Amino acid sequence: MGGIQKKKFERGSATNYITRNKARKKLQLSLPDFRRLCILKGIYPHEPKHKKKVNKGSTAPRTFYLLKDIRFLLHEPIVGKFRDYKVFVRKLKKAYGKTEWSTVERLRENKPTYKLDHVIKERYPTFIDALRDIDDALCMCFLFSTFARTGKCHVQTIQLCRRLTVEWMNYVIASRALRKVFISIKGLYYQAEVMGQLVTWLVPYQFSHDHPTDVDYRVMATFTELYTTLLGFVNFRLYHSLNLLYPPKLDSKAVSELKEDNEDDYAMNSECYIEKLSALSASLARVVSTAEEEEAELDQFPVDGEDMEKMEAREKEQKWQEAQKKLFEGLKIFLNREVPRESLAFVIRCFGGNVSWDKSVCIGSTYEVTDETITHHIVDRPSIDKQYINRYYIQPQWVYDCVNAKILLPVEDYFLGVTLPPHLSPFVEEKDGDYIPPEKLKIMALQRGEKPAHEQEEDSEEEDEQSEDEEDEDDEEEVDEEEDAEEENLKKMEEQKSRGKSPQVKVTPGKVKVENPARLEQEEKAEEKRLAIMMMNKKEKYLYDKIMFGKKRKVREANKLAAKRKAYDNAEKAKKKKTRK
Amino acid sequence: MHHRLACNKHHQKKTKKKKRIMAAARRLKRVIASQPGFLNLKSTSDPADLVSSRRKRVNKNKKKNWNKHSDINDVEEFLEDVRLQERTTGYGIQTQITNLSAFLPSVLAYQQPNAKKIRRIAQKAEQLAAKGVVPRRQKQLLKRRPVAKTTKKAVTEANNNPDREYYDIWGLESDPWYLQQTGKKLVKRPERLNEKPSVLPAVEVIAPGGSYNPDIFSHQALLQEAHEVEVKKQKEEDKIERQLAVNKADTATEETIFREQVEGLVEEENEEETVHNEDEEDVAVGGIALGEKKTERQRKREKAVRIKEQQRLAERRQTGQRQQLFQLRSIKVSIRQQEQKTKAKQKQRKAKQEAQKAQPRRLGRLKFQAPDLEVQLSDELAGTLRRLKPEGSVAKDRFKSLQKRNLIEPRERAKFKRRYKLKYVEKRAFREIT
Repeated sequence: MGGIQKKKFERGSATNYITRNKARKKLQLSLPDFRRLCILKGIYPHEPKHKKKVNKGSTAPRTFYLLKDIRFLLHEPIVGKFRDYKVFVRKLKKAYGKTEWSTVERLRENKPTYKLDHVIKERYPTFIDALRDIDDALCMCFLFSTFARTGKCHVQTIQLCRRLTVEWMNYVIASRALRKVFISIKGLYYQAEVMGQLVTWLVPYQFSHDHPTDVDYRVMATFTELYTTLLGFVNFRLYHSLNLLYPPKLDSKAVSELKEDNEDDYAMNSECYIEKLSALSASLARVVSTAEEEEAELDQFPVDGEDMEKMEAREKEQKWQEAQKKLFEGLKIFLNREVPRESLAFVIRCFGGNVSWDKSVCIGSTYEVTDETITHHIVDRPSIDKQYINRYYIQPQWVYDCVNAKILLPVEDYFLGVTLPPHLSPFVEEKDGDYIPPEKLKIMALQRGEKPAHEQEEDSEEEDEQSEDEEDEDDEEEVDEEEDAEEENLKKMEEQKSRGKSPQVKVTPGKVKVENPARLEQEEKAEEKRLAIMMMNKKEKYLYDKIMFGKKRKVREANKLAAKRKAYDNAEKAKKKKTRK
Repeated sequence: MHHRLACNKHHQKKTKKKKRIMAAARRLKRVIASQPGFLNLKSTSDPADLVSSRRKRVNKNKKKNWNKHSDINDVEEFLEDVRLQERTTGYGIQTQITNLSAFLPSVLAYQQPNAKKIRRIAQKAEQLAAKGVVPRRQKQLLKRRPVAKTTKKAVTEANNNPDREYYDIWGLESDPWYLQQTGKKLVKRPERLNEKPSVLPAVEVIAPGGSYNPDIFSHQALLQEAHEVEVKKQKEEDKIERQLAVNKADTATEETIFREQVEGLVEEENEEETVHNEDEEDVAVGGIALGEKKTERQRKREKAVRIKEQQRLAERRQTGQRQQLFQLRSIKVSIRQQEQKTKAKQKQRKAKQEAQKAQPRRLGRLKFQAPDLEVQLSDELAGTLRRLKPEGSVAKDRFKSLQKRNLIEPRERAKFKRRYKLKYVEKRAFREIT
């Protein structure tokens, strides 16, 4: 009863995987070339479920690839190019060794190169696919564009990255797509909404030339090679979606404005144009010059009832967003020389503000310090000698905080020499019951259109505290709302009952009962909820109680934190007072 | 010319040189012939006569033919004549010619071959240039130049060329039939490859405590997190240190050293005991070996016992099964319990798998090492943007993110390995000083 003996490792998962070295030999490539190919084609190593089965009984850690993936790689035309390149290097070495300079020159001229266009098309079959994967590309390009041109990677790569990032920033400005900014200790995080996709990217600070040694720059350069190609094609498409010229051209109006006599001081003639573009101070030329204000009205469809409400809400949202896009419109902002120019210019222009800087800082400044119409002057030093009366001198954080709060914040907190309020991360989304720092509460109140209490009286600390207290209470109320509502209802009912029972029967002149429809509705809802709770069976009730308990615990914790914060603030204030005295 | 003649005088067998000499001699003859009353060198063979007498076509592009068919009689005659003169008079033709040059003032210096022709050509060119006509030769050269340039540029266009052009890659659809027929159709990418190997986002935003001017609580929370990581690391280090520490009990004391030295020298009683034991064992083994054979009766009895035992067990099983009918409820309960257990396990496994998707996998020899958290202590925090000191490195962050998302396997930098050991030799100059 034997049949043919089954050999081990000839079927099942053992045949589905291939080790890296075998794959490399199959493709006839060196290890760096193989790695490069895998990155470009988007083929990643796999961890098999049963390592021992795959590894022929050994448990040694190895890098595995799926055999089918490697078979797919065999068809790639780039593989041939890699082999050509190997031969080219060999020939070049030989020619150098023999000091045959004419041969060297000839070989150099015929250096084998390859294109990645087909890889992009293959990996991202549609434009939206590419846009979803653009985060990585942006981060990498922004990173490479800040590298010093000292030979860590090709200078050409750095130039290309710079060009692409400038194009991207110009697009974001033109489409007013920026949503959030966060200044962290690591770098600047930006988030934009491009064609309905949220795109997040990280930009390093300008002068942080720290090259860590444990980073494989060859791998990074390969990724960048792919991503520059991707970003270029995405940029092209985005520019055309806005009817902008690609490669970007400055507006003819802007060109004449920016024309200066001493352009040679800033950059060489060949680089002048891209420098002007990267100054971000001028708008771009369009294919068809249309009126700039072109607002797409939402299509109106005849709808009924509930949909109508939703529709209205949506319209309101749209309007709010439109208003937010024009946050800095009409403001004339001047940047002092010590503030990060590129970042601030980018953010301000994204929201429609006018921005300029000192002529000696960068090319492309549009007006001077002495301009009387400047409304805000951004300074990051304790004091400034010559001050104009008709403008605010504020610290740069104001710009970023305004963008995150989506409103123009009061400038008082950001004056020169004032201790700044904390810069909160816009990427944190608090659920109800979480601890919310008081600064955020204040901003939320401002967004709702309330005036902060301490604006009326400047130095009254009690007021300040009170307002905070109120806010805290608000917070609690929000959670215990239903219960309060229930109680109120009960009270009312009792009152009504007592009224009904009251022995003195009097006829009083009737009062018109002012019915607040919103209030009534709220009450109704609360009542419904109470009834629903009553109707719950045991199991559901248990679950409900558990959830409510969890919520309450959260609130308790948040309250504790808030109390702690208040104590800390008080301590700080006391300290300040002492120092003042 | 005279020099050449003088040098080649004696190598008359080499026809190539002869040719040269021939030409020289002819010219000389012409010159001399125009001077009547001086040296009488009459050529005997006129080339025109020869051609007329026998007309034979010969290829002039072969060296062999030149050797065979060129007429060199006149040269040879002339040279012989020269030799004769040398022999008879004592001085050769060279001196005569130098003498001659005194009589012919600078004839050779200004005379140009084809001077008239050249002059004519130059004149014509001038006329054409005045008219604005470009000669054909120059025209062709001008035409050729730009073509060569474009071909060169098309060959070398690197991928990272900063001025490279982009186009609408998603807009243009090429004909699949055309691609197939021209062999340009690429293999279709399997859908499976478009899945990302990790669910993590490409850019993980730093915690709110990482702000340059953070809220106090979020900053404290971040510090706490960083602190916990450090504590964990410290614990691991301590553990290793503890394991590596020398055990006090294992160190050698005087007593142990002494015992080691006298090991095997002193006979001890234990050994004798063990010997005794061995004897006993031997006896026992012998006993088993000597077991006697079973009788028929014994076998039968054993068999009966075995059968009886089997019957008993079967009966018991049967009653058990009968009893199970009454235990149905409890059995049901136990089955349900088991099912619940498996379901719970399934759920757990699934949750674990989900969690694994966000975890870095083991893709090679090394495990993924999470980077240190970027944190600034309270006294390091800058109050303003100007004084901000960036923490960590974006390059490292990106690289680690790629590893974390299983796009590349974690590796360490290849270490430099010396093939041969270095040999240190003191140099003489150095030795003299020390």
